[in-house]
Amino acid sequence: MRLQRHSVVPLARLLAVLGGLIFVASCGSSSSSTNTTPPPPTTNNSVDLAVNLGPTGDYVNGLFVSVEVCEPGSTTNCTTVPNVLVDTGQSGLRLLSGAVSGLSLPAVTDSSGNDVQECIGFISLAYIWGPVVQADIHLSGETASSASIHIISETPQYPVPSSCIPTGPVGTPEDYNTVSALGANGFLGVENFAQDCGSSCAAASNGIPQYFSCPSGNCQITSVPATATKGQVWNPVALFPQDSNGVLISLPQVAAGGAATSAGSLIFGIATQSNNALGSAQIYAVDDQAFFTTTYNGTQYSGFVDSGSNAYYFLDSGTLGGLDCAAPNTGWYCPAATDSFTVTNTGTNGTSGSVTFTIENADSLFLNTSFAAFNDLGGDSGNSPSTDFFDFGVPFFYNRNVFVGIGGQTVTGVTNAPNGFWAY
Amino acid sequence: MKTIARVLLILTLGAAPAWAVLGEYESSVSLDRESMRGEDRVISAQGYKLHQITSPTGAVVTEYVSPEGKVFGVSWRAPVIPNLEQLLGSYITPVRQAAQAQTRRRGGPFIVRASDLVFVSGGHMRGFRGSAYVPSLLPKNVSAEVVR
Repeated sequence: MRLQRHSVVPLARLLAVLGGLIFVASCGSSSSSTNTTPPPPTTNNSVDLAVNLGPTGDYVNGLFVSVEVCEPGSTTNCTTVPNVLVDTGQSGLRLLSGAVSGLSLPAVTDSSGNDVQECIGFISLAYIWGPVVQADIHLSGETASSASIHIISETPQYPVPSSCIPTGPVGTPEDYNTVSALGANGFLGVENFAQDCGSSCAAASNGIPQYFSCPSGNCQITSVPATATKGQVWNPVALFPQDSNGVLISLPQVAAGGAATSAGSLIFGIATQSNNALGSAQIYAVDDQAFFTTTYNGTQYSGFVDSGSNAYYFLDSGTLGGLDCAAPNTGWYCPAATDSFTVTNTGTNGTSGSVTFTIENADSLFLNTSFAAFNDLGGDSGNSPSTDFFDFGVPFFYNRNVFVGIGGQTVTGVTNAPNGFWAY
Repeated sequence: MKTIARVLLILTLGAAPAWAVLGEYESSVSLDRESMRGEDRVISAQGYKLHQITSPTGAVVTEYVSPEGKVFGVSWRAPVIPNLEQLLGSYITPVRQAAQAQTRRRGGPFIVRASDLVFVSGGHMRGFRGSAYVPSLLPKNVSAEVVR
């Protein structure tokens, strides 16, 4: 079904050139065929992105959008959730239960008819936990119908299973199921993956502690298929009827020293409309775990781009000759003067290109507590070269058009990227 | 000597919640292999050996064992963060404590340098990387850099 859409791309692009949303009923086909079906109307595929301190007033470099969710099939039983964090480091829409409490969203059930629950463990040992339900997701003119979404339970129906990474019970610091801990009302995950787990979670026998069901209150790993509906949580973009092959994140430059806010666009689809053409962007294909290679000073590291990471996280203080800030900002970099780094990224498709970025003193940057946007914030990624990597977080996105290609989808002009790609 | 080691092992396993590995004896590796439903490949290296457990879902957990038979390091490359309580055993405590002390870092890697533990965890959904080692258990002439 994706291939069919692919074939209308040139028409969509032509339409956009001719006048965006204007109805171009009399537009003749540019091809020689005489009875082509009328082109689909151009879809509004862009939502506003805001960088600000977020609902808790202390989030640095968070990309926030508003997401409308509706009961499946309804155009009236809907709510708009603001301050949802756009995260290219995960897939799926996850919303705090309080943000959608006015809606009645049907549960996704497993093959035994039990409600499916999901646990996502974060790197910092935190977790989110709650039911998987169906909703229609509206983002600008795009709709993901009856999508599986994850509800982050502020008052969980079941205790979180201990198999979901080390977790503390409700109320402990590992419990991230609140707006104060998340710093957001949820996540809009638009990573390179169409699903948040894939085939591994389709069979409980694999033992992946992500999807659970809780008959008689005892939560056990359950099988959840990677199907587009009534299955795993999907990257909503992959469910759109068009513009489903990825996203473009576009943000302006931020002044040195930071800014109170920034604003840009999250645009759906790649090379599907006039506003998401690849242009001169280079394609960096990723491996099956969504990494490319980053080379610094002749050493190769795993690299990835992540709008859910709020800084450049790279190398370590020891390797960089003692760049660590003093407490309480340990883990951030505090160079005496602005420091510049040049690295080379190489995709699995062989594309190679350099990236130069600068790091300023985090202690100084953080002095202005009303600033949310910094393009030169950095911190450590490991303890020594053997454990270091390059996490290109939000600062990387300023002054760039960054494309996230979803694996398994077709993008005009892109080859050799079966697991998806980054383009910039 | 052997008997003492065995007694110690039984005591340790009896006291710890079943899955402890880092800092424990090599035999505890088999518990990880079972829980990962994985294949265990043993590789000898200069001054230590390692168990590389590969699961059918693409997770690779490596456990580094000293000549004395103790696990001095663990690392992972996996679609899902492995069960760290199981992998780190009692060393999970300083990791938990450090998790509460982060300032303004959001969504990035997580690094812990405790008195006798170095822990690093990073990556993104469906692609996680991490490692931990116990400096005091490093075999003679073996660099911490081997844990990767």
